[in-house]
Amino acid sequence: MGTMGLALPWKTRISSVPREREMRVEPSEDLKGRPSQTVAPPAMTAAPSEDAALAARCRAGDLAGYERLYAMHGARMKNVARNLLGNAIDAEDAVQETFLKVQRSIAGFRGQSSFVTWTYRILINTCYDARRSRVRKKEVATEDSDNSPRPEPRAPGAHPALRMALERALASLTKHQRDVFLLYEVEGFHHAEIAGMLEITETASKNTLFQAKRNLRQVLEPPRGNSAAGAR
Amino acid sequence: MNIKCEDRDRIFEDGTPAEWAALEAHSANCGLCAEELRTWKSLSTTAQELRDYSDTPSLWPRIERALVEQAAAGKHRAERWRWLSFGRRFSLGLQTAVAGALVLILTVSAGWLYWHGSKLVEQPNHSLLKSPALAEVERAQVAYEQAIDKLAVQAKPELEKPSTPLQANYREKLLVLDSAINDLRAQAGMNPSNAHLRQLLLAMYQEKQQTLEDILEEKR
Repeated sequence: MGTMGLALPWKTRISSVPREREMRVEPSEDLKGRPSQTVAPPAMTAAPSEDAALAARCRAGDLAGYERLYAMHGARMKNVARNLLGNAIDAEDAVQETFLKVQRSIAGFRGQSSFVTWTYRILINTCYDARRSRVRKKEVATEDSDNSPRPEPRAPGAHPALRMALERALASLTKHQRDVFLLYEVEGFHHAEIAGMLEITETASKNTLFQAKRNLRQVLEPPRGNSAAGAR
Repeated sequence: MNIKCEDRDRIFEDGTPAEWAALEAHSANCGLCAEELRTWKSLSTTAQELRDYSDTPSLWPRIERALVEQAAAGKHRAERWRWLSFGRRFSLGLQTAVAGALVLILTVSAGWLYWHGSKLVEQPNHSLLKSPALAEVERAQVAYEQAIDKLAVQAKPELEKPSTPLQANYREKLLVLDSAINDLRAQAGMNPSNAHLRQLLLAMYQEKQQTLEDILEEKR
């Protein structure tokens, strides 16, 4: 695997950035006051009344309702899809397909989860379908059997090398671990929301995130024995 | 709250805010936990490198166009099938009455098919005679009966006063045959188109004819 042996000097290269989330159980005291280097995620979920109103507008076939949904979540939906599919073109197709599916099935939405969570669930399933379809096409074309998404170059960030290392490390995770990690750590969803999107329990989401981070740490962290030997 | 190094992974997985605070306090005096905590947090920080919420101006117009097209297609489809929903214009009572009538008609039809179907199943070999064929069979039967009656007239003296045990047996046999013939004729009268009954009747007549011929032969 290409990610093995890739090591990051944590202490020197990774800077801490404040998490702009509410109600997330993670320490932040030592991170406070440092400048944010990335765009903050959009509002996590709309207030229940706003969510219901948005659902009602979409159910009524009001295009402005869909436009509002796109304005609130379009960028994040595209980012979720890009991280799941590996490129922007497929991501845009997935977002468009998601909006069409929402329009087709809004009559069947019963409000058991929030409208936005339901929309993201459709997006994630659409991405899964696209991934499966891509794997099938690959099999037909008898290309290599690597079915993990291949990230395409993005706009340069604060730490391009770091981002590339993380993308490669993510490829070493299971599909489930990668999805939970992306939804929680990158997109800033709560475990309850992820549970609704992936149709798992909140506890399973927490456990999967823990496993994902532990595996990522093993892949990214420099072997301690070798570092010590190198220092000598 | 007193936190130990062994609690670290559990707190990483599902710790409460108070436990996280306690772990941070513990890390101030524990180098290993401080390192682990820093690494753990760094993963979250690094993950933000994968966040790119840059706008794609062409995406919403594209989605909007697709939504409009899909809505138009849906409307067109709905109009095509609107005639199916004409029943909604009638009151619930009327709809129930119509549904009840339909159920009744279906039940009666099913019952009729069941009874008549079962009769047909019970008599799978009993083909039905059509009108011209039936008339021909009845004509032949009448002629046959008349011919046998002539034979019976010739054999009548022997049958009334049998001179031998054999003739007495013949007489008994003819009585049984006549009884069977009468039964079959009664059934054939009720079901004249039943070819199987006609064949049984013919077999009885043939047996009676043979018996009468045997009696006359013995007389000679």
